[in-house]
Amino acid sequence: MTLDAANPIEQQKKQPIRRDAALEVTRLMPRPLLAILTVLLCALVLTPIAYIFLASLNTDVGVASGEFWPSSFSLDSYSKIWDSVGLAKAIGNSLIVSGATAVVSAIMAIGTAYVLVRFSFWGRLTVLRGLLGLQSIPGTLMLLPVFVLFSSAGTYLGVTVIGTLWGLFIAYLTFALPFSTWVMVTYLRGLPRELEEAARIDGASNIGILFRIIIPLSWPGIIVSAIFAFLLGWNDVLFASVFTRPDTHTAAVALQVFASAVEGGAIPVYSQLMAAALVCAAPVVVLYFMFQKYLVGGLTAGSVK
Amino acid sequence: MASSVTEPRPSDSSPAAGAAAGPGTPETHPKRRKGLSERNRPLWLLIPGGLLMTIVILVPLAMGIWMSLIDLDQYTLRQWVSAEFIGIQNYIEAAMSSDLLRSIWLSVSFAVISTVVTIPLGVAAAVVTQNAYRGRALVRSIFLIPYVLPSFVVASVWRTMLQPDGIVNVTLNNMGMDGGLWLNGPNAYWTLVWVEIWAAWPFIYLLALSGLQAVDHEVHEASALDGALWWNKLRYVIFPYLKGPVSLAFLLATLNHINNFTLPYVLFGAPAPSDVNVLPILVYVTSFQSFRFGLSAAMAVVSLILIAIPLFIYLRAVRLDVHEGGKK
Repeated sequence: MTLDAANPIEQQKKQPIRRDAALEVTRLMPRPLLAILTVLLCALVLTPIAYIFLASLNTDVGVASGEFWPSSFSLDSYSKIWDSVGLAKAIGNSLIVSGATAVVSAIMAIGTAYVLVRFSFWGRLTVLRGLLGLQSIPGTLMLLPVFVLFSSAGTYLGVTVIGTLWGLFIAYLTFALPFSTWVMVTYLRGLPRELEEAARIDGASNIGILFRIIIPLSWPGIIVSAIFAFLLGWNDVLFASVFTRPDTHTAAVALQVFASAVEGGAIPVYSQLMAAALVCAAPVVVLYFMFQKYLVGGLTAGSVK
Repeated sequence: MASSVTEPRPSDSSPAAGAAAGPGTPETHPKRRKGLSERNRPLWLLIPGGLLMTIVILVPLAMGIWMSLIDLDQYTLRQWVSAEFIGIQNYIEAAMSSDLLRSIWLSVSFAVISTVVTIPLGVAAAVVTQNAYRGRALVRSIFLIPYVLPSFVVASVWRTMLQPDGIVNVTLNNMGMDGGLWLNGPNAYWTLVWVEIWAAWPFIYLLALSGLQAVDHEVHEASALDGALWWNKLRYVIFPYLKGPVSLAFLLATLNHINNFTLPYVLFGAPAPSDVNVLPILVYVTSFQSFRFGLSAAMAVVSLILIAIPLFIYLRAVRLDVHEGGKK
């Protein structure tokens, strides 16, 4: 039996094997080894995670002296960071820019992906290849030309772009669009055509099909592409560090600026740094675990499909 | 009018043919565009996305290449259109009298070492979560945490832990070892590798997991009947299934490592210590701290060429034109 043949008929061979026997057959390693590896990998992940939580509940002095387990617990750091880091404003900026990127790139992605998946035209494969290739363009290559374009807009058109959230938004679209479109392409490929064919026979136009059939069926894909666009904006440091002023700092830059200030200070306030880091990570982690079911497939969408 | 879309599909229409139909029919499409409508195409839907991508990607890309050929610094930046054309002088300077070659070496070695170490970790994680057991969902979620956390958070945390008086050195001292400096000097390189590994191994895990899911139950049964020992089964039966996904993961992970700006930037700051002056940091510092924009553009173009090699292999390997629905 070839490997290719094995896949499409997966559904059919739910053979009546007793569950425990089936487990025994598919086991890949002896049980103790499985347990040891699982524990080791979990420890690798969870030790630093535990440290962030504990350090954020510690006092600044306690963290600076290298305590793992705090000698006294307090939530002080969580109340101080809003002043010391300016975190509320920064998180607001991040939400606005990343949210706008998510919405715009998801909307544009669905139309583009629909045409790419269902219609043939000259240059179609080149566009598909380009969508994949563009995802790997280094940000540092785009940073300078985009910066120059934006400052030219100031010189020649009298529009200030650098330092505003608009500039950041446009820059993030650069990276979000190819990725979102690709995610939608892989999603739409998985949709059955029968509904579209039926609608077409009933006289629906292409646009009617897009709005009445494709979009209602593709919510999971749309959510995934929007979330990835959001994460892209939220996680970026490169563009935000160049294109923002103190009042338009995003969460990532605010944290970075705070971190450098921390080490210059007389008493390093690492506990606040850890608390701020946790707060910055929270929206992403929450989003992630809310949509985990859809996202795990999407994480690898650009690669295996 | 729907005739072009209702043609029978080679593989999906006859599931009953099962395994026997495998070798001949699927893969070979006589007409490649079968099933794609050629009539009445709403191509205008491509315009908004296409226009935007042209403005925000292709124009800057072309400008970047042009800028690498002109003499651009903080004085000429405002009138960059009229800056002096100096041909490949920026490239010559980058190669002869800058840190470029060293940075390329650092970036490539860092990327390859990180990928090589993450692969066994990711594959092991996929293998241990392959069988269902109570609590597996929790373990899978835990494995994804490093991947979910934003890079800037990961880097801030490790930076705090690796401070000279930080938790890592205190723990090492308690165990009777001398930690030394992690964020400066020769150790910094290995710090970067370590943190990248910590953050990136779940990517390999995800791809390996998708590979394992392609293993049929019958394969397990067959090797159980043969009485294969578990490591023989892993080595000769299971790992061949992972070859494809893991090679793709190798390429993509290496690309991601080379392009990673956030991790070294937040861990070490810019300008970075010379042992971790990787390409993205070098390009960034040359632009926005030394203001040698032309030189920096030349370096950026060189890094694009560098990543174009694995990228090209990847684009050749991935199947772009799968049109039949149903299967992943």
